[in-house]
Amino acid sequence: MRTYVLKRLLYAIPTIFGITVLIFGIMRILPGDPLGAYYGIETIIQWTPEQKAAILRDLGLDKPIAVQYAVWIKDIASGKLGESFFRGDPIINILAQRGPISAQIGIISVAISWIIGLPVGIISAVRPNSIWDMFTSFFTVLFLAIPGFWLGLLVVVACISWFQYKAPIVSVQFWEDPWTNFQIIVGPAIVLGLGQAAFIARMARSSLFEVLREDYVRTSRAKGLIERLVIARHAMPNALLPVLTLSGVLLGFVMGGSVAVEQAFTVPGLGKALVVAAIDRDFNVVQNIVLFYAIIFVMVNLLIDLLYGWLDPRIRLN
Amino acid sequence: MAVESVAARGSVSSNVHRYGGNLRGFVRRSPFAAIWGLVGLILILMAVGAPIITPNDPLKTNFTKMSAPPDSESYFGTDQIGRDLLSRILYGARISLFVALASVLLGTTIGGVWGLVSGYLGGLTDMISQRFVEIIMALPGLILAFALVLVMGAGMWTIIIAIAVTRVPFGARIIRSVALSVKETAYVEAARGIGASQVRIMARHVAPQCVAPFLILFTVHLGTVIVIEASLSFLGLGVSPPTPTWGGMLGEASALLYPFWWHVVFPGVFITVTVLAFNLFGDGLRDALDPRLRGTLE
Repeated sequence: MRTYVLKRLLYAIPTIFGITVLIFGIMRILPGDPLGAYYGIETIIQWTPEQKAAILRDLGLDKPIAVQYAVWIKDIASGKLGESFFRGDPIINILAQRGPISAQIGIISVAISWIIGLPVGIISAVRPNSIWDMFTSFFTVLFLAIPGFWLGLLVVVACISWFQYKAPIVSVQFWEDPWTNFQIIVGPAIVLGLGQAAFIARMARSSLFEVLREDYVRTSRAKGLIERLVIARHAMPNALLPVLTLSGVLLGFVMGGSVAVEQAFTVPGLGKALVVAAIDRDFNVVQNIVLFYAIIFVMVNLLIDLLYGWLDPRIRLN
Repeated sequence: MAVESVAARGSVSSNVHRYGGNLRGFVRRSPFAAIWGLVGLILILMAVGAPIITPNDPLKTNFTKMSAPPDSESYFGTDQIGRDLLSRILYGARISLFVALASVLLGTTIGGVWGLVSGYLGGLTDMISQRFVEIIMALPGLILAFALVLVMGAGMWTIIIAIAVTRVPFGARIIRSVALSVKETAYVEAARGIGASQVRIMARHVAPQCVAPFLILFTVHLGTVIVIEASLSFLGLGVSPPTPTWGGMLGEASALLYPFWWHVVFPGVFITVTVLAFNLFGDGLRDALDPRLRGTLE
C-alpha cells in the first residue's frame, strides 16, 4: 500500500508541473494586449513608447518569457500567487475571499448528487424496466441535457416572478452570517447537485446492474440471505467503486459549470471572480484561478485514486 | 485476453456495415435513438434554412414593442429592444450547431490521429503523449475553453478552435485503446511481414477499425460541446453581438434587472432539446456499433 501511495504522489508532480507550463503557455504566448483592453485603445495610442515601456516594466511584462515563468513559479511557491495586474492586491486574497463560497457550493452539490443519485440508481437497478425505472430514466436523461446555468436562470426568474424574492448579492461567509450565506449558496448548490445526480444515478444503475449478475451474488442468494442484505453487504461495495471515480471526474464538471451557474445566480464566488478578471483582461488573476482549479481537480482525483487502492486490493497490487 | 479483444474488434467493423450501411436496420433495432436522430436532423435543417423560415429579421429592432410577451405576431415574444425572439433563436441555431459540429469534428479528428499514432508506435512516444493528454484533461473543459477564447479573442473560429482543444484528449484516449488492440492482430502482423511501411499500416489497416469509435465519439460529444458553446456565449465570450446565439440571448436576458420568462425559457428549451437529441442518438449509435464503449467516452 505504501509503495502505491508513494507512486501515485510522485506521479502527480510532473502533471502539476505540466499544467503550469500549459496554462502559462496559453496566457502569455498566445497574442493579446492586456493594456489595450484595460486602458482603452484610444489611451494607448497616445502613449509614447517610453510610457508604454515603463508600464510594461511595472507589470513585469518586459522580461523574457522564461523569466516571467520563473517569477510566476516563485510567486506560487511563496504562496501569494502574484498580484493582480491592475489592482495590485495579492491574488491569494481573492482566493481566500471567494474560494470558501465556491467550495461550499461544490461540496454541498456533491452531497446532494449522492443523496439523490444513489438511491435512484439503486432502485432502478434492482427493478429494471419497472415503472419507477422508466420514470427515473426519463429524468436522468433530461437532467443530463439541461445546462446548469439555464436551470439557474429559470429558478431566479421563477423566484422573482412568483415570490418577488431575489437572493442577496453580497459576499458573506458562513461564519459571518449563516442565514444570508445559506441564501446565497443554496440555489447554485441544488442546480449543480441535480446535474451531477443524473450522472451518478446512471452510473450507479449500470454498475449495480452488472454486479448483481456476478456469481458471488448468486452464491449469497443461494445460501438464503435476504435480498436487502445481498444488495447492501455484497453487491453495493463493489458497485460503488465506479461511482466514486465518476464523482471525482464530475468535479471538473462542477468547477466548469459553477462559473456559469454563479454568473446566473450572481453569486460572488470564484467563478464570478474569473469572469470579472476575464472582462478586465487581468491575465495574472485568470492564470492563477485556472491553476487553482486544476490543482484542486488533480488533488481530489489523486485522493480518490488512493481511496480506491485502499478499498480495492486488486488495484493496489497491480 | 488479447485474443478475445481482437475477436471482439473484428466484429466492430462488420457492425459498421450492418448498421451504418443499413439505415432501416438501425431504425428497426433502436427506434428511440432514430427518432432523436431525426430531431437532430430537423434542427440542422432548421439552422440551414433559417433565412427562409424566419418570420422576421432577427436584427431588426422595434422600439414600440420592447420585451413584449408572446402573441400571434411574434410567437416567442420580443427581447429588450424589440427583436423577434423566434427569429433570433432560429438564426442562433446556425452558430450553435455549426460551432458544435466543426469543433467536435476538428477536435476528435486531431485526437483520433494522435491516439492512432501514439497507440500504434507505442514505447516512449506513447508514454510522453499520454502524459500530455492527462495534463490537458486536468483542466475542466469549460475553463480551458474559456482561457483560450479569452487570449485569442472571441470570434467564431477562435471558439471552434478552443472547444476543439478540449475534445482532443477524448479522441486520443479512445482511439489509442483501439489502435493498441488492433496492432496485435494477425493481419497487421502479416502486413508488417510483407514489408508495408508504418504509415501504410496505420492508414490502411488500423485506421478503418477506428471508424466506429470515431463516429460514436463524434455524436456523443456534440451535446457536451453545445453546452460549452452556450456557456461561453452566456459568459460574454461568444460570437459578438448583434449576431444571435442561444447562450448570448440568455446572457442578455440575465443582465436585465427583471428578466422576463420568455427571454429565458425559449433559448434554453432549444439548447436542451438539441443536447437531448444528440445525446440520445449518440447513445443509440454506440449501442448499435460498439456497446463496450459504454461509460468510457465522457
